[in-house]
Parts: sequence; structure tokens; C-alpha cells
Amino acid sequence: MINALEIRNLNKKYGDFQLKDVSFNVPKGSIVGFIGENGAGKTTTLKAILNLVGRDSGIIEMMGMDIIKEEKKIKENIGVVFDGCNFHDNLTTGDISKMMGCIYENWNPVIYKKYLSNFKLPENKNIKEFSRGMKMKLQIGVALSHEPTFLILDEATSGLDPIVREEILDVFMDFIQDEEHSILISSHITSDLDKIADYIVFIHQGEILLNEEKETLLDGMGVLKCGSEEFSKLDQDEYIRYRKNQFGYEILVKDKWNIKKKYPEAIVDGVSIEEIMLFYIKGEK
Amino acid sequence: MKGLILKDLLNLKGTFKTLGVMMLLFAVIFIPAGNNFVFGMIIFMFAMMVITTISYDDLAKWDAYALTMPVTRKEIVLSKYLVMGILNISGTIVALLIGIIGTMIMGRHFSMEILAIIGVIFLIALIFGSLILPLIYKFGAEKARLMLIICVLIPMGIFFLLAQMNVPIPTEGNPWICLLLLLGFTLGGLILSFLISLRLYEKKEF
Repeated sequence: MINALEIRNLNKKYGDFQLKDVSFNVPKGSIVGFIGENGAGKTTTLKAILNLVGRDSGIIEMMGMDIIKEEKKIKENIGVVFDGCNFHDNLTTGDISKMMGCIYENWNPVIYKKYLSNFKLPENKNIKEFSRGMKMKLQIGVALSHEPTFLILDEATSGLDPIVREEILDVFMDFIQDEEHSILISSHITSDLDKIADYIVFIHQGEILLNEEKETLLDGMGVLKCGSEEFSKLDQDEYIRYRKNQFGYEILVKDKWNIKKKYPEAIVDGVSIEEIMLFYIKGEK
Repeated sequence: MKGLILKDLLNLKGTFKTLGVMMLLFAVIFIPAGNNFVFGMIIFMFAMMVITTISYDDLAKWDAYALTMPVTRKEIVLSKYLVMGILNISGTIVALLIGIIGTMIMGRHFSMEILAIIGVIFLIALIFGSLILPLIYKFGAEKARLMLIICVLIPMGIFFLLAQMNVPIPTEGNPWICLLLLLGFTLGGLILSFLISLRLYEKKEF
């Protein structure tokens, strides 16, 4: 399968922060959720992908092309949304269409107009007067109006109310219907990723901790709740992390079906991406 | 690159309006007095708007976003120099128009002197632009603004000091040679400035 994005052994030192051998892929036709706490390295990784920051070593390819050698060609074919509005307050949506038409070869004013009306964005008002939700919808509309094949979204849904987030997720689901299209979305709102992601890549302190298909993760992993006596019986390789609280132990297990078979009386619950993230960061090994 | 220039000009729409009102005011005050100071004001006000465009860009975190588009770093820097050029030329044209209309209304003769003053100010404005753009790329728009003030004050101070110490300043001389020297200096400075800015910008991390 061809990958929309391929990162191999990306290293980057940034003061006392470091990306260590970051490697993962975004397979064509899929949505990859890129999760981690604030400061874990999500944005730095995305900036390295976009050539906004240099890197110390590693290979990054998009659509099979080297991101430095074929930069212009690649950037013609991607749409990027950061966590804020990057258009100047004095511009109107019409101004944006005019200038983007000069920047992108494939800028399509018809599609742009369609997004504006779908999102109910006023046509000739200054962006200054837009709410945060409107601004983000505008950014997403702009990112899609030059018909890119790959979307890169950095916290594009954070800070938005559930209704707007839902609307935006629907747009992403529409976009991904085309098998040539792919999305890399970084977020700490993991419930959004529960809904739409096909793969989860989890970064912590500059290192990739987890890189897995979402279904495999959620089907396989589980949380075992038990007392200290049962916990001591568990094998080290049966669980990933555990947390102790006043009622006993909560244990993130790799294979909940296996645990259920082995300890039929134990309580094993399903797990969400958020819980997995919390276990990895807060739990003990 | 056309898109980047268009972005800056669209962004300045509001500023242009304020500027128009201010210029009308200046013209009304200064022209009857036969004061040529107004031409310098106009050209510099236009020229310095390039700083405003960069402040706007910073505010919107535009540069990082622009670099996700099919735009190279070189094009971004070059577009700023072109915007500066466009603004300077526009300011000069406005100054010329005000000069011509002003002298006509006042019933005076449009002299070569005004033309020379406007021409020289145009070149000086370009020199200041060449000075400030690399400063902005190195230190950011806000700090660079302060530095520019210092850059203006230092030569003025030296000039003042020389005058105080009665050092003879050559006033006579072939004006054409002076103009040619100034022209060469401006052009050389502009090219050097662009190369420095480009170097700074290519290394910049967002």
C-alpha cells in the first residue's frame, strides 16, 4: 500500500526537548489520530513534516516524494489547519478567495463558495467579526478548496463546542470517502478520534509509545479491576500499566479476552483512547 | 507570489483610508506655507506601512501557515521587498500629485526643486526599508521599530555634532554626481539587504 505520509527515525533537538526516532505512517485512505499531552511533541512533529522546522536526522516522505526535494509539488496537494485562524482580521472571505486563487494552481472558487454556504459563513464580513467556531470552519473550508489529497490538522477541533466539532468531523468523514484521500489529525480531544480515526499514534515525551489500528486497540485492550492479591498473581507481560487507588488496582491489559478466560471471575471492562492515554502517562509499569 | 503581495495590499485597505484623511490634512496645513516637509511625511508614511504588514502577519501567525502552501521562503521574502517597493512608489506618486496640485492652486510654479526633493526622499525611504527589513527578520517587528528610531537618531546626532564643531559640510558640488552616488548606494543596499533577509529567513524555525 502506498502511504500518504511516511516518517522514519525523525530526530530533532529543541532546547531540552527532543523527538526521538519518531516513525509512523499514514496509509492512503485512512485517518490517523495523533495523540499526546500538551508538549509531548505533536506540533513539533507536524512542523517537521511541513518543513517549518529543520530536523537533525530522519526521512520524511509524502505521497512517496521527499518533502524537501519536492516541497512545492507536495504543498500544492495538501491542506493544513492549525489550531487558530491564520487569516488577518481585516480580510473578508472574498479577499481570501482572491489571494488563494493566486497561490494554488487548483484553487476552486466554486467549492470554496459551497463550503462557505454549508458552514453558513457570511460572504463579505471581516474575519474580525467571526466567532472561533466560524474561523475554524473557514480554515477547514479553505484547506479543502484546492482539492488536496492529504489533510494535516493540528488541534483543529480543540476549543470548539460539540455541535461545531460534530459538523467538522462530518466534513472529514465526507473527505475520506475518496480512497485516494488521507488525514493526519493531532488532538487531545480523544473522543473525536474514538469516532473517526482508523489508526492511533501516541507520542509521549518525544517518543512514539503506541502505533496501532484503533479497532485492534479497543477490541484487545481492557481494564481489569481487582485487589492486591489478584494483582500479585498477574504476569508482568499480561498487563501494560497499572494504577492503584483506594479500592484496589486498575490494570490496563493487552488482551482482555485472554484475561477473561484465565480469570473468569475478574471484572474486565472495555477501554477508550482517553483511558489508554491516561494509563500510559499516569500509570506505573 | 502574486497572492502574497495581494494579501498585503488587501490587508492595508483600512490603513489606506486613514492615511488618505491624514494626508489631506497635512496638505491643507503645509502646502499654503510652501513647506516641502509634507512630501517627506507622505513618502515615509507609505514606506513604513511595510512594517505594519509584517505586524499583521505576526498577529495572525501567517508565515507558518503560508509555508504550508506552495510558496517558498524566498518568495515570501521577495514579496515583502516588492510590497515595500510598491508602497514607496505609491507614496512618491501621491507626493508628486499633491506637489503639482498644490503649486497649481497656490499659483506658484512647479519647480525642479520639489522634484529633486521628492526623488531624494524616495531613495532615502528605500534605504531605510533596506535597513529595517533584515532587522525585522532578525529581531521581530516590535524591536525592529525601536531600532529604526535609533538608526535615524544616530546619523542625525553625528550630523548635529559635526555642525556644532564647525566641521565644514560640503554643500557645493555636482548634484548629478551626488544623485548617482545616492542611486548606486540605494541599489547596492537594497540587494545586500535582500540577501541578508533571505539568509535569516531560510534559517528561521516556526
